[in-house]
Amino acid sequence: MTVNNMADPRRPNKIFRYKPPNTETNPTLEDPTPDYMNLLGMIFSMCGLMLKLKWCAWIAVYCSFISFANSRSSEDTKQMMSSFIISDISSTQRNPQM
Amino acid sequence: MRHLVFLLPALLLLLALPDTRGRYNDDFDDGEDIAEFDDNDFAEFEDVSEDPAVDVEKEPPPRAAPSSTPIEDDEDEATVENEDGQDEFEDADAQDQDMYSKYDNEEFEGYEKTNPSFKNTLIYREVPAHLQNSWESYYMEILMVTGLLAYIMNYIIGKNKNSRLAQAWFNSHRELLESNFALVGDDGTSKEATSTGKLNQENEHIYNLWCSGRVCCEGMLIQLKFLKRQDLLNVLARMMRPACDQVQVKVTLNDEDMDTFVFAVGSRKAMARLQKEMQDLSEFCGDKPKSGAKYGVPESLSILSEMGEVTDGVMDNKMVHYLTSHAEKIESIHFSDQFSGPKVMQEEGQPLKLPETKKTLLFTFNVPGMGNTSPKDMDSLLPLMNMVIYSIDKVRKLRLNREGKQKADRNRARVEENFLKQTHTQRQEAAQTRREEKKRAEKERIMNEEDPDRQRRLEEAAQRREQKKLEKKQMKMKQIKVKAM
Repeated sequence: MTVNNMADPRRPNKIFRYKPPNTETNPTLEDPTPDYMNLLGMIFSMCGLMLKLKWCAWIAVYCSFISFANSRSSEDTKQMMSSFIISDISSTQRNPQM
Repeated sequence: MRHLVFLLPALLLLLALPDTRGRYNDDFDDGEDIAEFDDNDFAEFEDVSEDPAVDVEKEPPPRAAPSSTPIEDDEDEATVENEDGQDEFEDADAQDQDMYSKYDNEEFEGYEKTNPSFKNTLIYREVPAHLQNSWESYYMEILMVTGLLAYIMNYIIGKNKNSRLAQAWFNSHRELLESNFALVGDDGTSKEATSTGKLNQENEHIYNLWCSGRVCCEGMLIQLKFLKRQDLLNVLARMMRPACDQVQVKVTLNDEDMDTFVFAVGSRKAMARLQKEMQDLSEFCGDKPKSGAKYGVPESLSILSEMGEVTDGVMDNKMVHYLTSHAEKIESIHFSDQFSGPKVMQEEGQPLKLPETKKTLLFTFNVPGMGNTSPKDMDSLLPLMNMVIYSIDKVRKLRLNREGKQKADRNRARVEENFLKQTHTQRQEAAQTRREEKKRAEKERIMNEEDPDRQRRLEEAAQRREQKKLEKKQMKMKQIKVKAM
């Protein structure tokens, strides 16, 4: 499909490399969901651990799942997994109380 | 006959026994050895002979179904009766006969034992939930794990769907892009500028494509912003508030590729929102969005423009045709030489410098289907990409006439002046603080000088500088006064 009847519009000499947009100058472009969910997960897991509330622990599990689903692929997977594990596994200890 | 005679008092005694037993609940709870009881406990049994008179009325009451515990009771009775028997042996012979007749179990068939007090004392303790080993105690866990499994399933399905949609889009647009750009697909990390020929996956729902190497533009960034199908929460939220996938195209231009103007067209809602949010639209296009009907496009689209000439220049026949035939897919189209993104709110109140601007064409398209898109829908976006390419070429050719240029320049100068005025006080304050800092630093230096001579010399130098400044100021004031006169 030719867009214009002139010669090929491509110019290999005019190539510019891709620069990922700088998120510091445009904070509105960032989606804060994974960060919020990470924080909530940590808080709930601490609550569940300290106050021995099982429902807190389950909410922490859900929060970390949601954070993982919404995360950016550029973020470090190791950090994500470590926060995931810390917030979930340690807080889903079997407690007699609910 | 004789048996019947014995039966009556026996039954009456039996009726009396529950009363007596009730009084000794504590003792009979554990079913312990009853022989431990004192003789005094059974003192009341000595009045058994008077009871039959009272219990005669009780007798007609039912002796219907046999209870399950007659044998038990019999045993208790038996032990009790033994005690009783021992006590009352001395009492009366007639009673002995009554006692013994009770030991015949067959006589008590069909007799309803009314000694519920005994049964009442048998308390069944609830086994705590965590010690039970049944499914019921785990219902919370089962529920939660089911929810998690559902979330994971949705994640996998959503991720795959988004991936398929992205691939379908790219397959249908690949030819057009490769015929227009020398570089299609670049992630910025490789040393050589070679086409990767594939999308960059930023997220499970955002895909990027960078194209470059064409006349009239620096490069084009295409962002496929799909719905968050991988997040179950988002899926549920979308059931309340429908949304659609978007394709965002951002074309950055060189300085010579575009004349100075700001223009936008799109759905009414989008235009209202952009006018408030975008830095350049709010500054240069102050008027309310005009209805598109004036220019031959559907009523649903509205136009924001710096000046009428720009609108006339952009809205030629072909553009109008594109807009009319794909009005429902167009969210917004924004051409600007002063593009700096949305308004940035800074903590100090106002940024001290004008934001950097770049000549940009921004296109936002809605994918048809309102969330329920299939890969086939991606083909319908191809004409829109043609429109993008057409716009790039058109903007290059569009030049304002002399009047328009002057107006545009005046607008830009006005905006800059306003900005400087607003930040004037802040800039003054900033300059003042800087001067004070310098002075303080100098004074510290002087104080820190150990050598008194050097100290004196530095102080004198500072004083001289102050004097000079004052003199300069005075000269300026004089000059202003003279001019005013």
